[in-house]
Amino acid sequence: MANLLTALIAVLATYCIYLFANKIHSKVGYTFTAPVITSAIVIIAVLLIFHIPYETYMIGGKWINELLGPAVVALAYPLYMQRSVLKKFITPILTGTIVGAIIGISSGILLAKLAGFEEVIIYSLTPKSVTTPVAMAIAEMLGGVTTLAAVFVMIAGIGGVLFSSIVNKVFKINHYTGKSVGIGSASHAIGTSKALESSQLEGSISTIAMVISATVVSIITPGLVALLV
Amino acid sequence: MLNICKIILHIAFLYGIYLFGNWIQHVLGLVVPGSVIGMIILFIMLSTKILNVAWVEKGAKFMVNNLVLFFIPATVGIMNYFDLFAGKGFLLVVIVLFSTLLVMVSSGKMSQWVMRRREREHG
Repeated sequence: MANLLTALIAVLATYCIYLFANKIHSKVGYTFTAPVITSAIVIIAVLLIFHIPYETYMIGGKWINELLGPAVVALAYPLYMQRSVLKKFITPILTGTIVGAIIGISSGILLAKLAGFEEVIIYSLTPKSVTTPVAMAIAEMLGGVTTLAAVFVMIAGIGGVLFSSIVNKVFKINHYTGKSVGIGSASHAIGTSKALESSQLEGSISTIAMVISATVVSIITPGLVALLV
Repeated sequence: MLNICKIILHIAFLYGIYLFGNWIQHVLGLVVPGSVIGMIILFIMLSTKILNVAWVEKGAKFMVNNLVLFFIPATVGIMNYFDLFAGKGFLLVVIVLFSTLLVMVSSGKMSQWVMRRREREHG
């Protein structure tokens, strides 16, 4: 009974904090005010102040976690809604995301290995370019830590957005296709919201790149891991 | 109220597809997450009109628009790993950033090259 109450409080509190964080973000709109960051900071602060262990919070948190699977399935919906853009840009998007996926996975594995990190960390870091729920599923499958995977995805999202203008300038990526496929493959949803600021079309291409990249990375990661780790 | 019922019903349906994806993964012994298999199945069903988009629309929209909500609890777990990022762990941030930029440049360059070539061919 006490557990059920704890769970309900955790779920409701998470939802309210998320709604509030969303509201703030839509007002200010900085990359650093992304709702996942502000919500996580507030919840961690509350847990630390009241000496509540993470495991207690997760009595309710795991209910929300349980919905990560259907949330990934739901990604088929935006892909389907953008099917006319998908059809028109399928070749540049597919080639771009496949090349990006191979380079992203291999560089992540090799650099982490070179720096001497243990396998469990490498497995958590490998899927960092894809949207969080898919990255967590891949990390879990490899034997990594889902929480770390979520954090690495966040770093990739924010870092990519912060550096995207300068990267595009230095490497002369100036076609809207290159810009939106690049940011969608490297920085998933956070990058996509940045692409949407440029135009509706760039937002659509970035959304497609994000979903396709998540699919490509899930398929090729096990092979690359077997080869490189 | 009817709207909320629809959202819940649609999410339940998505959950069913997710379980089906897990089952396929298990039976075929695949190393691709069941949720991603479910996503591919749903996309194929929608594209071939086997499934009407109205059956999942409300729930899928809700989940995609609020995707962040579903991974907040996992992200909060970082509180158990604070010491990892102290000292040498900081290198992980550098590695992730560097690798992210490599992805952005390679995928961006590649798709731009393909697109430009196509534009030249078709005038």
